[in-house]
Amino acid sequence: MSEKLFKIISKVMNVNYENITDESNPSTISSWTSFNGYVLLYELESNFNVKFSIDEAMDVKNVADIKRHLKNHGVNLND
Amino acid sequence: MDNEEPLSKYILDSEKLEINNFNKKIKVAFLSSFTINGLSESLKVKCSKKQISCNQYVAGYNQYNQEILDKKSGLYSFSPDITFLILDTRSIFGDLFHFPYSVTKSERENFVNQKITEIINLIIKFNETSDSKLVITNLSLPHYSPHGIAETKTNYSFHDAIIDFNKKLKEKLLNINSAYVFDFFKFVTKHGENNVFNFQNYLFGDIKISLDYIPYLANEFMPYIISFLGLTKKCIVVDLDNTLWGGIVGEDGFDGIRLGPQPPGNAFVEFQKYLKALSQRGILLAINSKNNFDDAIQVIREHPFMILTESDFSCIKINWNNKASNMQEISKELNIGLDSFVFFDDDPINRELIRESMPEITTPELPHDPSFYSEVIQSLHDFSTFQITSEDTNRGQMYLEQKQRTESQNSTSDISEFLKKLNLEIEIKKTNSFTIPRISQLTLKTNQFNLTTKRYHEDQIKKFSEDKNILIGCAQIRDKFGDNGITGVFIVEKTNYDEWFLDTFLLSCRVMGREAEKAILYFIINEAKNNNIKRLKAKFIPTEKNKPIENFLPDCQFYKKDGIWIYNLDKPFNMPDFLTLSEE
Repeated sequence: MSEKLFKIISKVMNVNYENITDESNPSTISSWTSFNGYVLLYELESNFNVKFSIDEAMDVKNVADIKRHLKNHGVNLND
Repeated sequence: MDNEEPLSKYILDSEKLEINNFNKKIKVAFLSSFTINGLSESLKVKCSKKQISCNQYVAGYNQYNQEILDKKSGLYSFSPDITFLILDTRSIFGDLFHFPYSVTKSERENFVNQKITEIINLIIKFNETSDSKLVITNLSLPHYSPHGIAETKTNYSFHDAIIDFNKKLKEKLLNINSAYVFDFFKFVTKHGENNVFNFQNYLFGDIKISLDYIPYLANEFMPYIISFLGLTKKCIVVDLDNTLWGGIVGEDGFDGIRLGPQPPGNAFVEFQKYLKALSQRGILLAINSKNNFDDAIQVIREHPFMILTESDFSCIKINWNNKASNMQEISKELNIGLDSFVFFDDDPINRELIRESMPEITTPELPHDPSFYSEVIQSLHDFSTFQITSEDTNRGQMYLEQKQRTESQNSTSDISEFLKKLNLEIEIKKTNSFTIPRISQLTLKTNQFNLTTKRYHEDQIKKFSEDKNILIGCAQIRDKFGDNGITGVFIVEKTNYDEWFLDTFLLSCRVMGREAEKAILYFIINEAKNNNIKRLKAKFIPTEKNKPIENFLPDCQFYKKDGIWIYNLDKPFNMPDFLTLSEE
């Protein structure tokens, strides 16, 4: 399932799948602007059928944070 | 309704685009009072789908005042063709958005007037500094009011103030050339406030149009670009069976087809009404149908529930020929290029045939259910023009007269006999507030009989008309069948004391082939002679489409020297004697 998450990040941020890690964040991915960050959450919401709160959205600083919030919403990422 | 791709797809696609690949190019600037990320990307992708390269300038967040007021701003150095200024109710109303009743009724009125003045001053400033067209959004109406159900019992309520703002903005802009209102109010009505506005989007990133709806907004901006580039469609060609009526007249018979007040016949009545309204605003209609002529024409002439009549169609092809060759003939008879057509046919095979053999024609998908035909028409943005001129609304009639002319021409074997009988009158008109929009429209739309194909917008035409070094005018052409309206344009640059240069010389395709151009040239030559000019110079800039004017200059005794065509004014110029020339 992490694969699905990384694929979405790769698509929205227009970066290679291989370059994405749990530590990836706006300073390692230059296209990760605040707006694209928001587009990413939007995409995740529709792909995983979840709804993030504004607190969760503000809390996301890197990929690991996204995973944590997805898990809190019951999404099984298998890792 | 046409479903949109998600915004992320547009953003991704726009990054991959090489935007300067296309011949058609436009420069678009965006100014806004809130975050509109994604809008420029969506528009860029939509332009590329129409083979248009869209260069863009996106001003910083809420920087529109500074960009417009500072003559050295990035906006002006980008020098856009079209500038979108996107405003929203929250930003304009400020504190009054939440607390409209913290002030009195007259204070609310004053507030609206003051905001309108501020915006109009900005627009005037913008117009002084830029040649760009300016498209400014009006305000959406929030459904909520702190007065609740008493809102409609409140004098000059919060909602009244917003409606008043929109009304005044529209009224003021009616008199400002090159500034237009985009009806954002209507956009939100179409999609629904609860969809377009999302509190989380707004609070998280000041995004006042939720991300899903940004591509829809870009869609509605496309008509401005299409109209600016002169790509507006001119004619809708329709099939008959299962398109204008339900069933197949050859099999179901006159009484068996479905057309009338009951479902499903009412779907076709509804569709015909939309077509009729478009024809009333100047879009031509034509028929391309495989049928027995007599069966089909009987329905058109005699069926009690036909909305469209025979005279609504400028060209009728009902036969057993291949639809592609019929399309060619329609194009030839109406004298408009294939890229000016939209084709409606319920049969997917016919649609595919036209798409493959004539990709220039717009062939929309028609849904299986005819209830949705009208929606397809509503969603097409290809018919828009910045302004509707009187020539637009009379166009159907003019083409009908054209049909009679062609028939008369066919019955007269000698072309010069035919022309003599036409009683052609050419009246030269000066520029004024009525003719300027039409002159601009002709320069934007005319492709065939156009010497230089230079495109000019209204504000440019207006500047020319105020310039002493330019002779500009147009020609209204009448004949015994009727008035063709303003169908010729000339722009002459008074280069120096003994030379003039023909910058623009064009004739609408509607009046081609009648030598009216010679009367217009005769007028220009006479004007030049009266001003002691020695030489009239001209240039022919060939394009894919202007072959019909290729020999015009040599035919009129211009000679070529170093790539420039020259007419020596000591030579007499003969205008054909069957033409009558007059001046306004």
